[in-house]
Amino acid sequence: MSLLESLRFTRGDTVIHKLDPRVKFLMTLVFFSISVMYMHLIPLTLIFMVQIPLVLAAKVFQEWFKSIKGASFIAGFIFVTNMVSFYYFKGAITWDLVEYSLTLTLRFIVLVTSFSVFFITTSPDKLSLALEKAKIPYEFNFAFITAIRFVPVLADEAQTIMDAQRSRGLELDKGNFVTRIKNYIPILLPLIINSIRRSLELAEAMESRAFGATEDRTNLYSLSLNRTDMVFLIAAISLAVIAIIYRLYGPQLPNLLGNGLIF
Amino acid sequence: MGIVKVEDLSYTYPNSDEPAIKDINLDIKAGEFVLLTGPSGCGKTTFCRTLNGLIPKFYNGTLTGKVTVNDLDVSEHSTMDLAQSVGLIFQNPDNQIFALTVEKDIAFGLENLGVSKADMNREIDWAAETTGIEKLRNRATHELSGGQKQRLTIAGILAMHPSIIVMDEPTSFLDPVGAEHIFDVLHRLNKDYGMTVIIIEHRIDIAAKYVDRIIVFDKGMVRSDGKPEEILANEDTKLLGVGIPRILDLAKRFKSDDLFSPLPLSATNFYDQISNKLSLRDIPRVKDSIPEDLLALAGEYHHNPLIEVKDVHYSYPGNVKALRGVNLTINSNDYVAIMGENGAGKTTLVKHFNGLLRPKSGSITISGEDISKTSVAQLARKIGLVFQNPDDQLFEESVEKEIGFALHNFGFKQDMIDKRVTWALNLLDISQYREKSPFTLSGGERKRVAMASVLAWDPDILVLDEPTIGQDYGQKERLRHFLTQLRTQGKTVVIVTHDVEFVAESQPHIVLMAQGNVVAEGSTKEVMNRTDLLTQCSVAQPEVTRLCAMLEKHGMPKDIVDVEEAYQLLSRRLVEESQ
Repeated sequence: MSLLESLRFTRGDTVIHKLDPRVKFLMTLVFFSISVMYMHLIPLTLIFMVQIPLVLAAKVFQEWFKSIKGASFIAGFIFVTNMVSFYYFKGAITWDLVEYSLTLTLRFIVLVTSFSVFFITTSPDKLSLALEKAKIPYEFNFAFITAIRFVPVLADEAQTIMDAQRSRGLELDKGNFVTRIKNYIPILLPLIINSIRRSLELAEAMESRAFGATEDRTNLYSLSLNRTDMVFLIAAISLAVIAIIYRLYGPQLPNLLGNGLIF
Repeated sequence: MGIVKVEDLSYTYPNSDEPAIKDINLDIKAGEFVLLTGPSGCGKTTFCRTLNGLIPKFYNGTLTGKVTVNDLDVSEHSTMDLAQSVGLIFQNPDNQIFALTVEKDIAFGLENLGVSKADMNREIDWAAETTGIEKLRNRATHELSGGQKQRLTIAGILAMHPSIIVMDEPTSFLDPVGAEHIFDVLHRLNKDYGMTVIIIEHRIDIAAKYVDRIIVFDKGMVRSDGKPEEILANEDTKLLGVGIPRILDLAKRFKSDDLFSPLPLSATNFYDQISNKLSLRDIPRVKDSIPEDLLALAGEYHHNPLIEVKDVHYSYPGNVKALRGVNLTINSNDYVAIMGENGAGKTTLVKHFNGLLRPKSGSITISGEDISKTSVAQLARKIGLVFQNPDDQLFEESVEKEIGFALHNFGFKQDMIDKRVTWALNLLDISQYREKSPFTLSGGERKRVAMASVLAWDPDILVLDEPTIGQDYGQKERLRHFLTQLRTQGKTVVIVTHDVEFVAESQPHIVLMAQGNVVAEGSTKEVMNRTDLLTQCSVAQPEVTRLCAMLEKHGMPKDIVDVEEAYQLLSRRLVEESQ
């Protein structure tokens, strides 16, 4: 849960925040593909070392760290299960097996980092604009923005309903499993009914704001690639090209930790 | 030729036999500022929705008659076409904001119309400036206060340049200062840009000062139509349950004796009319200090502390400080009103009384016992908390079950539950709805069901959060009598409210809050005179008190909140002066 929460957009005024969402998404994809392409500690460490300056440049170190903390449980789980299963199947632990497990764990962290930086620094408004450029119908786009817009509103409402029912003596964590689920009915029903009512009001307000008046809807914001965008774009593409060429034609990568037996 | 012409308009909702509005004929001229009012369910909201065709296009149902707006026959144009002529704004700002940033939301309508980017930026600048939110342009919409959100919805409509703005109770969720802001904006649009403004509002005391014309609806028909002073001075309007501004109520009492017969809509207005009739003088201030021996006598009356809040701090997740060291004592059988602007921490404080929130530091005791270890369910037995919006708690299939819900939770026996439910139904005068679904009732009735569902277990302390919001004058009067009745039964009543006129009429002990602190408390008379504190807490002074303060140099005591008291003093003075 905390992993999802830490992916929330944080306002900022940095180079990374201002980057064209399409370029940023391409960068995320490049990081993603490289970390999937290679199964060695060296390239993954390199990628990770490229990502850290980006996190710092976006001034979102705290938010990023939160997302890594949220992911650390899964990361630890990956490492431990790997080690245990190696020991179980091969009967011994060698340095290259440790390296292999470390690589898997690092791959996961690189993936989390690339996506968290993207979501933390890209405003949903810009994201929807990118979707619009990608010729996704506006209705889907609108639904996406509305969903994000109403998350805090619905969370507040759920809290109020819960408070109101607890004030009427409802004890949520009382009873066995089935009773506990039943306890949530007095909370879910008002929430659902209010949402239906709300959606009617939304529809009325949309009509009053001329929703769907013309096919050629305009947008207050527009996307255009400036010089910084171009620099990042070229960097991302070259990185991808180098990674692919090396993967296909380059020599085998050495292990960092050697392959001696530990026990 | 009027900008809005309505001829023989009737409309019946689908699945209903009775028409919601019938035989309406109206002619509203360009540049008028019109207030629509009337008791709940009188058809004013339905009428507004016919102006941009939401009725009948969105709701279906049968409509007869003709509505012309800006020379466009509403039945021949779609709502989105009409959007550029008529801008409709609704009660809840949250349900009218679509974007995540302010400027993007103002642009929403323009984007839908396909306006070019350059034009859009110009319109946004203008709309944001006119509504006074230009500094918030790049802010996230969910961070705005209620008043700012409602101004944003006006800006969003304004950007499309309609010639008519129609608003359905836009200030219900706002504190008095936020509400005045909205009226200031509307006033400016009306005066500077000649926009026609049509507004539905229960807060007549604020609205009456601004409007040129009042149309009163009742049972789906136009009951009366005319200048604000005339309509509001009419006895018929009062009988319908429309809230008459108290300053006008005061003035009307003078009519019988012919010394003075003004029709003012504000204290300033009243002052202008009466000040030349009263000579300047000092009055002997007998009221300032109560004689010592009287205090000694009063000492026989014991205060029984019931709720004691000591140095309570609370912050919401994300380190948002909501309470900063609150100290407060509420005595047994007290009637307390907690007032202050939105976000001052009023609701946060009352949620501590039954343990919904626990203090980060400090302590709360009830009847002398520390409540930090007591569960919400146990505390709720003693303290009934009724929330602002009944829709946040109603869920059962019948009113009877709804009221019985808490009784089941508290483990009452079935025969006892039946008795209690009957008792609570009678207490709130809703017995006739016993078998009905709470969802089919009107807003005011749902509110009473919510109250009954708490009163049913007979808690010693009743806490009501914003009980008067969205209630018409008649409903407020009933509530006031009901609260008095509860107090004679020995209950302690705490209300959280913005409604200064309700407070002036029922005269509770007032607790003023600002920024998470109690800044003052005292009797209604005392607190309503501290203009500096009231301003700090965004609480409006009652108009009658404002008048008396203005008349202080004419020898009026300024701590008057009651209409009758003000009338007695003023009429006596007028008689004196005329001799």
